[in-house]
Amino acid sequence: MPLDEAHHDTGKARLDGFLRSVERRALRIAELSTGNRDEALDLVQDAMFAFVRHYTAKPEADWPPLFYRVLDSRVTDWHRRSQVRGRWLGSWWPARNVDSEEDPLATAPDTQEAGPLLRLMGEDAGQALEGALRGLPLRQRQAFLLRIWEGLDVADTATAMRCGEGSVKTHLWRALNALRLALEPHR
Amino acid sequence: MKPGPDWTEQARALLDASTRRLDASTLSRLNRARQRALDAAAAPRTALHWPRRLAIAASLLLAVAIWWPGSTPPAVATLSPEDAELLAEGELEMTDELEFYAWLDADGEHNG
Repeated sequence: MPLDEAHHDTGKARLDGFLRSVERRALRIAELSTGNRDEALDLVQDAMFAFVRHYTAKPEADWPPLFYRVLDSRVTDWHRRSQVRGRWLGSWWPARNVDSEEDPLATAPDTQEAGPLLRLMGEDAGQALEGALRGLPLRQRQAFLLRIWEGLDVADTATAMRCGEGSVKTHLWRALNALRLALEPHR
Repeated sequence: MKPGPDWTEQARALLDASTRRLDASTLSRLNRARQRALDAAAAPRTALHWPRRLAIAASLLLAVAIWWPGSTPPAVATLSPEDAELLAEGELEMTDELEFYAWLDADGEHNG
């Protein structure tokens, strides 16, 4: 096998391995923002295309934040389009509330139920957590998912979210507080 | 150092579990998406969209000319090299995306 071809195959295998390693979490992250699996699959596919076109020449250590940067851009763009659509529809049907981020606690699970640990061990724990995550503002949800779930450090999360590290810390702090409020019982 | 409180470990476990419950159809679509992306990566890139690149470059030049040298640019209108690269390729609809990020952050300040 020619050297170039072997090198190409190795590179493709590494890229394949990377995309395999992130694709399921990327899908869930997109799904938590869109609330729709088909839309989420489209966003992940778009993100994969853009990532391989622009960033595969970058060091592999940089791939995770760069991939999520592209995905975050796609999710944000989807969010903006849905808000524009919502405003347009709202002019026809003012009663319809398509922006679920006006009040994160309004869509969060009942806070009178069991606290985080009990809830997270219960049968509906996943649904409770996802409901609480969906109730967060977009940037808080992204900060939580990228930093806590994906495990990016603060600098990489800032790269992925195109903001400063201070903003990441602020969004994450607020996300943790909102989630705790949503999942903990009143004491 | 742990990035969050103890309960976030359980949250991670729950989210991980949700990825293992994805159905076969979804996994198949993810696999196809990945393969298509890999094929696109292998394909030679064409020198495409020159008119669009030219238009974007002209727009950026005009923006610099307007802002230079007297007025200060808006604080939110920062463009990183990566963003500029994506913008030049027409990958991002970024004419107002940076403002939207700023709006999201401001919205988070008030609502979050």
